[in-house]
Amino acid sequence: MRNLYALAVAGILLALAPLALPTYGMTLLTEALILGLLAMSLDLMVGYTRLISFGHAAAYGFGAYACGWLLLHTSLPMLAAIPIAAAMAGLIAIGVGWVCTQASGVSFSMLTLAFAQLLYAVAYKWTSVTGGSDGLAGIPRRPGPFGLHLFATRDGFYYLVLAVLLAAFLFCRALVSSPFGAVLRGVRENEAKTRALGYNTRLYKIAVVAVSYGFGALAGALYAPFAGFANTELLFWLLSGQVLIMVIVGGTGTLVGPILGAGFFLVVQHQLSNYTEAWALFFGLIFIAFVILAPEGIWGFIRTRFRRAAPETEYRRGVAGAR
Amino acid sequence: MSIPAFLVTESVNALSQAALLFFLGVGLTLIFGIMRIVNFAHGTFYMLGAFIGYSAARLGGFWFALAVAPIAVGIAGMLFELGLLRRLYRRDESAFLMVTFGMALVLTDLIRLGWGPEALQVEPPGAFSGVVMLMGEPFPTYRLFLAVSGGVVALVIWQFLERTRFGLLIRATSQNAEMVHALGVDVNLVRSAVFGIGCGLAGVGGVLAAPLVTASIGMAATMIIDAFVIVIIGGMGSFPGSLLGAVLVAFVQVFGEYYLPDLALAFMYLVMLLVLVVRPGGLLGREA
Amino acid sequence: MRTRLGLTRRDIVKVGVAAGALTVPWARRAAAAEPIKIGAPLALTGPLGSVGQQLKRGCELWVKVQNAKGGLLGRPIQLLVEDTGGNPADAVRKAQEMVERDRCNIFTGITLSSEALAVVPKLDEWNAIFISSDNGDGRLTAESFVPNFFRSNQSAPMGARAVSLFLRSAPYKNFYAIGMDYAWGRNSVAVFESEMKQAKKNFVGSVFSPIGTKDFSTYITKIRQSGADACYVTMAGDDYNAFLAQAAQYQLPEKVQLLSEVIDLTVPRAVGDAAVGLISSMRYCFRLDNPKNKEFVEIWKKEYNAVPDNNEGEQWQALQFLAAAAEKAKGFDTAALRGALETTAIDDIKGHVAMRKCDHQAVQDGIVVKLGKAEGYPFPVPEIIATFPGDKIAPPCNKMTYAD
Repeated sequence: MRNLYALAVAGILLALAPLALPTYGMTLLTEALILGLLAMSLDLMVGYTRLISFGHAAAYGFGAYACGWLLLHTSLPMLAAIPIAAAMAGLIAIGVGWVCTQASGVSFSMLTLAFAQLLYAVAYKWTSVTGGSDGLAGIPRRPGPFGLHLFATRDGFYYLVLAVLLAAFLFCRALVSSPFGAVLRGVRENEAKTRALGYNTRLYKIAVVAVSYGFGALAGALYAPFAGFANTELLFWLLSGQVLIMVIVGGTGTLVGPILGAGFFLVVQHQLSNYTEAWALFFGLIFIAFVILAPEGIWGFIRTRFRRAAPETEYRRGVAGAR
Repeated sequence: MSIPAFLVTESVNALSQAALLFFLGVGLTLIFGIMRIVNFAHGTFYMLGAFIGYSAARLGGFWFALAVAPIAVGIAGMLFELGLLRRLYRRDESAFLMVTFGMALVLTDLIRLGWGPEALQVEPPGAFSGVVMLMGEPFPTYRLFLAVSGGVVALVIWQFLERTRFGLLIRATSQNAEMVHALGVDVNLVRSAVFGIGCGLAGVGGVLAAPLVTASIGMAATMIIDAFVIVIIGGMGSFPGSLLGAVLVAFVQVFGEYYLPDLALAFMYLVMLLVLVVRPGGLLGREA
Repeated sequence: MRTRLGLTRRDIVKVGVAAGALTVPWARRAAAAEPIKIGAPLALTGPLGSVGQQLKRGCELWVKVQNAKGGLLGRPIQLLVEDTGGNPADAVRKAQEMVERDRCNIFTGITLSSEALAVVPKLDEWNAIFISSDNGDGRLTAESFVPNFFRSNQSAPMGARAVSLFLRSAPYKNFYAIGMDYAWGRNSVAVFESEMKQAKKNFVGSVFSPIGTKDFSTYITKIRQSGADACYVTMAGDDYNAFLAQAAQYQLPEKVQLLSEVIDLTVPRAVGDAAVGLISSMRYCFRLDNPKNKEFVEIWKKEYNAVPDNNEGEQWQALQFLAAAAEKAKGFDTAALRGALETTAIDDIKGHVAMRKCDHQAVQDGIVVKLGKAEGYPFPVPEIIATFPGDKIAPPCNKMTYAD
């Protein structure tokens, strides 16, 4: 009940944002929501299953390129291209997940990195399809079906992103609260024991990889018509690292935390770089400060500050998990 | 150029490349072996070595730089470990990821603020700045020096790990830190020392690389990924693995670039993929 | 008093204050509308950070000198500089912010061509003019052309053309090429290849290295094995420095003349003697012999204690164009400026430079330099060995390739 209350308040505030913020602020907010979706998708793997992916940019980039390509080379409307791109990614991610889950720990992480870098290399070289280092430009926000123009406008697109994020959030919340989610958490806490209980943990891991990459690609598919271009930077390992940081800063295993983390990351980076060239320095210091001062991330911090009166029914394992 | 000549020159090229990769990778693997930390800041310590090497070389020449810079970087690494990392041993790996990532950003920008954004020249030492005729073609003696020093340092580290008491402590701690602690050894000291040594080795790599690639802010970014890949291929925490990984990647890179330059971007990752699928712990690694 | 959520009133106030603080940067006090704003979203950090820094210095000094003379049309100039890190998405975001928050309608200094290509489609929507000082990509005055875009600098095709014209009368017969494996590298090598064929020279092969290559030993081997007596090098940044340093260690320049399309002084500064003997086209050279340039070099030396580099001169020229056009248009309204810029010509540090109406490319002489040691400089400096008139090196309107 408490959660729904907070969610409703947040939803209303975000819905009213176009009235309060100037256009460039709205642009930043839209991008923050898209990155929030990406970060939340990664949290399914990192926070709930302890599968640390160094290659999540692959999902984002793939979604962006797939959607961009569909919008440029077919007459599909945006509302169709976006889910198709995400679904494609989810299917391919089953294969990726199968290979990566052969290993565990750091080896798993490096395999995800390998796939992302290979995708980067492919996108770089396959100029006829991906535009090579130039990427795809001029991606249109094609309206439709049935002439539905609403989402092609700036504010309309924002509402589309907001709606998709909310829907994805509700889905993921349902997923992690379900028996499926319980198994994921079992894998996170003690995989051997979970397997001993009779669960085929490998299948669950592959499934969460597929869902996670699928939602990550959904974020990418939203990005392509948002920015109007898709380039190889979207696939680069630097972005993978940044998304991971967003999840950790926001608070792993909370779904909401990473969304806040993404917003925080984007806004702080943007504002800092407006004021100083040495923004990376302050940025790094902020991360280090987070680890020391707010180990459970932004969301954990907010919760401990504002929910003192309410008992925690479930202990969330954040950055400060005890060994 | 005839086939044997080509093979010889390209092999020496590969060995010189392997040496640089090894310097970077061995520190990373030692640190992981002891502390289970994936040190994202490792590439920046390498870069710090190059820049301190630049300044030291201007004061006292190349050999002076080679002596001073690794020590300075090692100390910087130890300070970082003492000041920040030590508080985090009870936490899970995401804390280390964040702190080392943050440190990489901070250190990179400090270097940029300290030395400026431009690339800086470091000249090879006079003794090795010429060429030697290898199979009828000029071959830089500096690269021979690199290949040889890689081998020498590998030998030294091997002996250090196998024969000295401290080396024994390092090996023991990486296998069972609690037991070592129960035997009365200050494990924290071992960790700090290893972190310092690992960073110092990265610093050596930086100084040695500078005459080839100049001391530049972009150095760290590509090298850190290379270092990770070779360590993973060789096996995280395995010293011989880092050597094997370095040599393997360097040879694949050099010969691959020659015959299939279009795939140059992808080679390293394809090899890593192949190795991890067949042996998830790396070629000589322990854990799966 | 606790609300149902367990929040105290004080907590709510704290959140409100925090939220307010976060929005303050967006509500910058509306400054007096008088100053003319020039927006410069530059890549100050990242791989091309040193180029962005050059452009920044060029802008800052020009604004300082101009403001000392009373500004433009009597109004002081305010320079807006922000760091994009070389990221096209950031460049678009920051440019948009400058348009909406600061009501800026004049841009310059966007560093990477990829950033420019991302910004340019939005110029119409923002009703803003962009005068490029650095973007070389041929497409910006060809298929990606928009009316609000003006290129004051020499483009990449023009640089390649100057080198090719020089080579027509040079003794080299067999050419190899090495380039960085992305759009600029590939385009430049392709243009060079077709130029060599036109000139009836022998083009024996090419190879491309991925961005971020640190070890060029294999590539150097390939160049040597090709039997070429000259090699065209399309590289930039760290890759270029590493290549030159290593090529010199292999004594490659003794066998193969290295040529390139563009060079900054940062390169010889970074690699020292390894750059000696390199022949390249240069967009701006401090050695240009005309009174305006000598004056510029003096002002620059006094301010920065160094000679002006390639991009620093280009940035100066771009802003001189702006000043001349503003005088002509008697104002800064976008449409008026556009009309004026189209027909503006200046006699400045690069001599006579005239903007071309058909594709907004500034037509200017091209120079070819050779790097060598010189008295008084700690690093090899360029010496001008050939000059080609603007109409010979500028491509046909809206095109990137040449007919002859």
